[in-house]
Amino acid sequence: MTDQEHLERAYRRRLAWYPRAFRDEHGPEILAVLMAGARDGQRRPGLAGSADLIRGGLWLRLVPSVPRSARTVRAAVWLMRAGAVIPAVSLVLSLVTLAAMISAGSAGQQDVAQAILRAIGGLVVTALWLWMARANGQGRNGARIFSAVLSGVVTLALATAVGLGGPGHVAGMTVPSLILSVLNWLIGLAAAGLLWLPASTAFFRSQGLEQAQHQAQMAARARFDRPGARWVRQV
Amino acid sequence: MQEATFLILTALADGSQHGYGIITDVQEISGGRVRLRAGTLYTALDRLRADGLIGVDREEVVDGRLRRYYRLTPAGTGRLAAEAARLQAHAAAGLRRLNVAGGMAT
Repeated sequence: MTDQEHLERAYRRRLAWYPRAFRDEHGPEILAVLMAGARDGQRRPGLAGSADLIRGGLWLRLVPSVPRSARTVRAAVWLMRAGAVIPAVSLVLSLVTLAAMISAGSAGQQDVAQAILRAIGGLVVTALWLWMARANGQGRNGARIFSAVLSGVVTLALATAVGLGGPGHVAGMTVPSLILSVLNWLIGLAAAGLLWLPASTAFFRSQGLEQAQHQAQMAARARFDRPGARWVRQV
Repeated sequence: MQEATFLILTALADGSQHGYGIITDVQEISGGRVRLRAGTLYTALDRLRADGLIGVDREEVVDGRLRRYYRLTPAGTGRLAAEAARLQAHAAAGLRRLNVAGGMAT
C-alpha cells in the first residue's frame, strides 16, 4: 500500500464519526480536501487533524443545524436542550450522594437502592431530552408526535401525583423536586407546543420530503454498487 | 458572526469556490493567520447552507476526486455586506479614538 492509500484509509475511518446522511453527501469532497492538504509522504492524519474531524462529526451528530428560517423549531430545540439540564444536574447530585453514602459505609440498602434508581432516572430523562432535541431538529415527524404524547403522559402523571398527595404533600416528592418536575414539565409543554405551530409543520413537511428523496437516491446508488459494499469501500 | 464564518463568506464573495479553494483563500485573506481544517470548514458550510447564506454552484470531478463548488446566495451577500460595514464602523471608531487620545494612529 502506498503512503497515499494508507493516509486515505485512515481519513475514511475518521469520517465514520460523521452522521451517515452527511457522510453520504459530503464524504467524497471532504476526503478530496483532506488529501489535497496532505504533505508529501504523510501516512497519518495527525493528532490535530483527527481531533478536528472527530469534533466536527460529534457536533453534527449532537447539534444538527436547524435552518434560521425555521425559528419556531429552533426555539423548541433549544428549550429541549435546556430541559436536559435539570435531569443532568439531578443525575450528578445522586451520583455524588451515592459516592458519599458508599464512602461513609453507613447507608442502608434501601437508601443506596433509591439513589441508584434516581441516578438511572436522571440518565434516562437526560438522554430522552437530548434525543428529542436532535430528532426534532432533523425534522423527524415521529419525534414531534412522540414529544406531544410524552407531554401528555407527564401532565397526567403530575396531575395524579398532586391529586393523590393533596396540597403540601405530593405523593413521595420533596418540595424542591416537585418544583423542578413542574419546571421540566412546563419546558416540555412549551417545546411540544412550538413544534405544532403552522411554521413548524411547514419545516417538518419539507424535511420529510427531503429525507424521502435522499433515501430514494441512496437506494438507486446502492443498486449500481457491488452488493453489500459499504461507503468505506466505495467512492 | 465568527471570524471563520466571515472569512469563508469573504472567500466566496467574488465567485464560487470548492472546499480546498476556500481554505487557501481564507489563509491568503487573513495574511496566513487563519488555516481552516476540513472538519471546521464543513461544519461551517453545513450551517451556512442551512441558514440559506450559501448554495451549491456546481460539481466537478478532477483526478477522480469530487469537487463541489459553493457560492453566496443573495441573502449571503447581504449578510456579508452588513457584517463588513459593522466591522468597518467599529474599526474606524477605534482608530478615531486612538487618534484623539494619543495622536499616534496614522
